Amino acid sequence: MKKLQAIVSILVALASLSCNRDTTSTSTGKPTVALVLKTLNHPYFVDMRRGAQEAADRLGVTLQVQAAEREIDVEKQMQIVENLIQTGIQALCITPSGSREIVSALVKARDAKVPIVVVDTRLDAKAAADAGVRPATFVGSDNYEGGKLAGEYLVKITNGTARVAVLEGIPGHETGDSRLRGFKDAVKSSPGISIVASQPANWERDQGFNVFQNMLQAHPEIDSVFACSDLMALGAIEALAAAGKAGKVRVVGFDALDDAKKAIAAGTMAASVAQFPSEMGRVAVENAVKIIRGETPAPDVTVKLELVTKDNVK
Amino acid sequence: MLTSTAAQSERAKRDDAASRPPRSRGLLLSARQFGTVIGLAALCATLWILTPHFLTLSNLLNVAEQTSINAIVAVGMTFVILSAGIDLSVGSIVALSGVVLGTVLQAGQPLAVALPAALAAGFGCGLANGALISWGRLPPFIVTLGTMSIARGAALLVTEGRPISGFDASFRLLATGRIGFLPAPILVMALVYLIAHVVLARTTFGRYVYAIGGNEEATRLSGVAVRFHKTMVYGVSGLTSAVAAVVLTARLNSAQPIAGIMYELDAIAATVIGGTSLMGGEGTLGGTLVGALIMGVLRNGLNLLGVSSFLQQIVIGAVIVVAVLLDTVLKRKHRT
Repeated sequence: MKKLQAIVSILVALASLSCNRDTTSTSTGKPTVALVLKTLNHPYFVDMRRGAQEAADRLGVTLQVQAAEREIDVEKQMQIVENLIQTGIQALCITPSGSREIVSALVKARDAKVPIVVVDTRLDAKAAADAGVRPATFVGSDNYEGGKLAGEYLVKITNGTARVAVLEGIPGHETGDSRLRGFKDAVKSSPGISIVASQPANWERDQGFNVFQNMLQAHPEIDSVFACSDLMALGAIEALAAAGKAGKVRVVGFDALDDAKKAIAAGTMAASVAQFPSEMGRVAVENAVKIIRGETPAPDVTVKLELVTKDNVK
Repeated sequence: MLTSTAAQSERAKRDDAASRPPRSRGLLLSARQFGTVIGLAALCATLWILTPHFLTLSNLLNVAEQTSINAIVAVGMTFVILSAGIDLSVGSIVALSGVVLGTVLQAGQPLAVALPAALAAGFGCGLANGALISWGRLPPFIVTLGTMSIARGAALLVTEGRPISGFDASFRLLATGRIGFLPAPILVMALVYLIAHVVLARTTFGRYVYAIGGNEEATRLSGVAVRFHKTMVYGVSGLTSAVAAVVLTARLNSAQPIAGIMYELDAIAATVIGGTSLMGGEGTLGGTLVGALIMGVLRNGLNLLGVSSFLQQIVIGAVIVVAVLLDTVLKRKHRT
């Protein structure tokens, strides 16, 4: 029976731990907007949460932020959505971990009449249409345009001649695929630019390091890199430093993370496409509140993109 | 729900068990499992007090549905751990079986072909694990670590890293269908537990699983084909992983080569919280089911309460450690 006491006391401790959080969200009677992120272990999504929280505070709504432990864990994200629907949220903002897979969870949101704001990553149009899921609005930047921006810049700084290595995101992710398409379309018209290697490094810094190191072994002539995210670009920069080629290879990344901006200022990185995740978070919550108030937001809100180079890095 | 008479009979059973060789099989609750049930009940009661959203039929069905995949994987894991082994490859086998299912369905074959193909893939991986462990005399940790990587790689290779999606509505019934008010994944879970319980409690194979975990050498000397049965144990684990893959694929409407990462740890946690000894020979499937439910209820409850996802990881980790700690302390007391 001592064990029983122990279990109970643990549960009570656990309960009191979470208790104060609960009261803030239910006792005030403010409408609750949920923001389900892919993960919270990436600065991009942490920024998004900050923007969303600021908007929520300003508009007087309660914001519930939840995320899976791993960016690719769609099943966990689905569980979170199911659970949040139970708590009677008035609107759901979500960055889908899988453009197709998450549709099954959104069907449940639709059935519970919770309006959906899709953020950052688009739903697979066909999967959503087949399931009859109609998000109220999409808020995000155009990854295709971003990739194009990066490609055009690379053409400019190399005068149209380069041996390029590409670090891709997780295959099948809409975000990375679009960036890559944009990049390829931008360099297509320059015959002097050839992509000599293109491999996924799954959005991760250490994989960016390893994959690029191997590419450099196989193709020592590589003089430019396009990474579909800054974490992979930063990994590649470390691999370049290890190979004694720091600053000699032009690296273009995506996201304009703080570390990337430092690298641009230091001259080890050429450019990065800046997205504005906190802006996305802000607009997403604003639109969710509009919907709750019975207004109709624009169906598609494009958040600006900006190329960060040595000339404009802050 | 559990009255004092139930507690008394439980105590009587425990006294009884002390005089006889201590072994609990199948779904029967031992003293240790009784503690786990109390833990689950207390957890539910706590959540019921803390949030009005917990104790509703739709939420409880959600919890059961969310638990089903881990619970099914944990069945095979329980067999393996009962035999004093470990299987780290279950998550990758989930991915590979799912991808096989998806590929065959996408090729236009009916479910009657795709389902056996997926189950065979999982079973095959499990048998390969078992054969290497039994006949190759390799440690289970190493073999299944290798398979974890091989099966994952194979799943990525087959799909070129891309998820397979867009299945027939009839296939999706495995996730969205209901009999009465019960969603299909819960029914599949119930069926798996029923069959596995019968196998573990009523067949010679089941008895040998316990015997091998209790004392492999003695079992071998008494004339049991230990190698064959150990191989089958890993086969069962592969098979239940494949069943979980079918449910997962239907649930996500997509077969992902990156599915199931870290499922091995969730399954081990459910098994261990459920009172199965990592040393083998002791434990029940009922305990594992309760263990899986504890994890599911905890995740659900923390979501409902809006606890930060970072804190959730800490809480779940702490529960695992505390459950095993209690188990160890309890056993030490019983032995001295």
